[in-house]
Amino acid sequence: MSTVSENYVPGHAAAAPQAGAVKLTMVLSGAVFALMMAFGLLMRAAQGQWIDLDPALFYQLLTAHGAGMVGTAALSGAAIMWYFCGRHLVLSGGIFWAFLGLFLLGVVLILGAIFIGGYGGAWTFLFPLPALSGGAWEAGAAAAFMLGYTAIGVGFLLYYLELGRRIHARYGSLVRALGWNLILGREDNDPPPPAIVAAAAVTIFNSIGIILGAAVLVASLVHLLVPGFEVDALLAKNLIYFFGHVFINASIYMAVTAVYEILPEYTGKPWKSNRLFAIAWNAVLIFVMAVYWHHLLQDVVMPPWMLVVGQLVSYFSGIPLIAVTAFSTFLYVRGSRMTWDLASSLLVLSVAGWSVGSVPASIDGMISVNKVMHNTMWVPGHFHTYLLLGEVAMAFGFMAWLVRGKTISQMDGLDRAAFVTYLAGAVGFVTVFLFSGAASIPRRWAVHYEEWLSHDRIGTLFGGLVVLGTLVFVLRFAARLGRREG
Amino acid sequence: MRMICLALLAFAEAIALRQAAEASPVQHVLVQMPLLVLAGVLISWDIRGRRVWAVPLLLTALTAFLFWMLPRSVDWALTPAGETAKYLSLPLLLGVPLRLSWPWLAPVLRGFLKANALSMLGVLGFLYTHAPLRICNSYLVSAQQDLGFAFLHLAVVLACIWAVPVLFGHPRWLPSGSAGCSKCGA
Repeated sequence: MSTVSENYVPGHAAAAPQAGAVKLTMVLSGAVFALMMAFGLLMRAAQGQWIDLDPALFYQLLTAHGAGMVGTAALSGAAIMWYFCGRHLVLSGGIFWAFLGLFLLGVVLILGAIFIGGYGGAWTFLFPLPALSGGAWEAGAAAAFMLGYTAIGVGFLLYYLELGRRIHARYGSLVRALGWNLILGREDNDPPPPAIVAAAAVTIFNSIGIILGAAVLVASLVHLLVPGFEVDALLAKNLIYFFGHVFINASIYMAVTAVYEILPEYTGKPWKSNRLFAIAWNAVLIFVMAVYWHHLLQDVVMPPWMLVVGQLVSYFSGIPLIAVTAFSTFLYVRGSRMTWDLASSLLVLSVAGWSVGSVPASIDGMISVNKVMHNTMWVPGHFHTYLLLGEVAMAFGFMAWLVRGKTISQMDGLDRAAFVTYLAGAVGFVTVFLFSGAASIPRRWAVHYEEWLSHDRIGTLFGGLVVLGTLVFVLRFAARLGRREG
Repeated sequence: MRMICLALLAFAEAIALRQAAEASPVQHVLVQMPLLVLAGVLISWDIRGRRVWAVPLLLTALTAFLFWMLPRSVDWALTPAGETAKYLSLPLLLGVPLRLSWPWLAPVLRGFLKANALSMLGVLGFLYTHAPLRICNSYLVSAQQDLGFAFLHLAVVLACIWAVPVLFGHPRWLPSGSAGCSKCGA
């Protein structure tokens, strides 16, 4: 039993703003994570020819898995950041409920589009694929899918508007909340805590992403309804990847606030903003928007300087993360004699996984490598590292902390088994993806050659472990809900 | 009185631009029509609106705005009947209701309307630059494309104007912050 958490009581730690709404959101997130992982498992088993799956259904599952995972990562990240920003700001509960309601409306539309309408054009809705189904789905299904995205986008816009205006009201400007006073060495009696610095950065770049995403969504909808109106394909791809890249990255940057706010309870050392931290987050703000060109390295008609910037920023964008969050986590944990319960273990794992995930991402961000690797399993390998060992682990760590109780105890047998199962499964699963990519096995193929089956089958086994660990985390969270006061 | 004079000036300027509006959709949609809306805003500047009217007034303004966004309405605005409707409806059904409702709107709703305006300017930019046919029969395709690019430029300018105070704080030389105004009672 540790006493660290009893000794360390930050001034705001007692606050549990809108805990009910956040807990409900995390229950929904956990359930959808488990369901989407089951979809992923089905796809890997089908690729390994252990089960028969109609290719049309495979692409529907692929679409649901992609859209569902990105959406749920963002939903859980948003709930985490809302919870911790609520310690420093007075946030409107009505806005959060509107956000959640619009999100669920979007989910209904997307699921209907996929499983009733047969839409299988992948979560990226890349122009002109939604309108060129070859008879697999009607334009109405693609339109419902995009309207679902639009509903979710409107929900997120309300979320960021509320967050942004409260930050503005408290700190006077977003640049102050981004820590510019710390960077410029000015005196600041009320410096923004790490969660607020992160929230200010995410509010800025994800709002821009959503506004541009809304424009390309509506333009694509017009094209679906009046095919004569053709979007410029390259412009559409740029807008979609700007929106998609920023959105999925925002989910991790929102969830990392759990690390900043929870780990101090274990280490006994408060995590404060300083000059380096503020510089890193301001760099993230620029890099996350400038790096999306690394998704277009195979588009030879892109201006070369954009592709060069995409490659260079891919190198740089890992630095703020590794130099600040990962290195700081190491320093905080080192020598703190912290107790390793499920929450702290998952949160530290998430920072490690996030950092490791930046390595295959940077490799794929090199133009010469991308030419060969872009359409291989290497790419799902890198983003599954970010997500399974990064954002999703952060979300599960936050869920474990929410129902932990006031005292911190070592992991019991079930928690330890679930953690080890999840860790082993996730590491094995992403390693198989990366090996498959290195072996030039293509991604997004419903049917695989005989020579690739061993990769798929090993991946399926590891995927099964991930689903098992996830089920324990989610069921444990649901069972313990309401047991902790406040 | 000063605001009424400014409103009359904006209205007179819009009428003076009648020929220019026929010649160019950019001057029609992005100069003359906004001047008419501005005239309505200025004429109602000192009127005290009531909170209960905010939603109906906003809906009136949005309906008028949606109507005049349609390319067909832009064409119609060059006919005698449409021109009269434009001179009357843009100040009275868009400018005045927008001014009277705006101070009562919640900050999140105001932000949403602004963000939506940016997105829709982007969509209009796409429509006018990529349309496979003349969507306004009164103007050339090249002029239609000019209007599309003007929409995109306007989106960038508005984004900067709206983002700077949020990023860097409200300038001290401006009289009021984001919340309401004393004259209209909000």
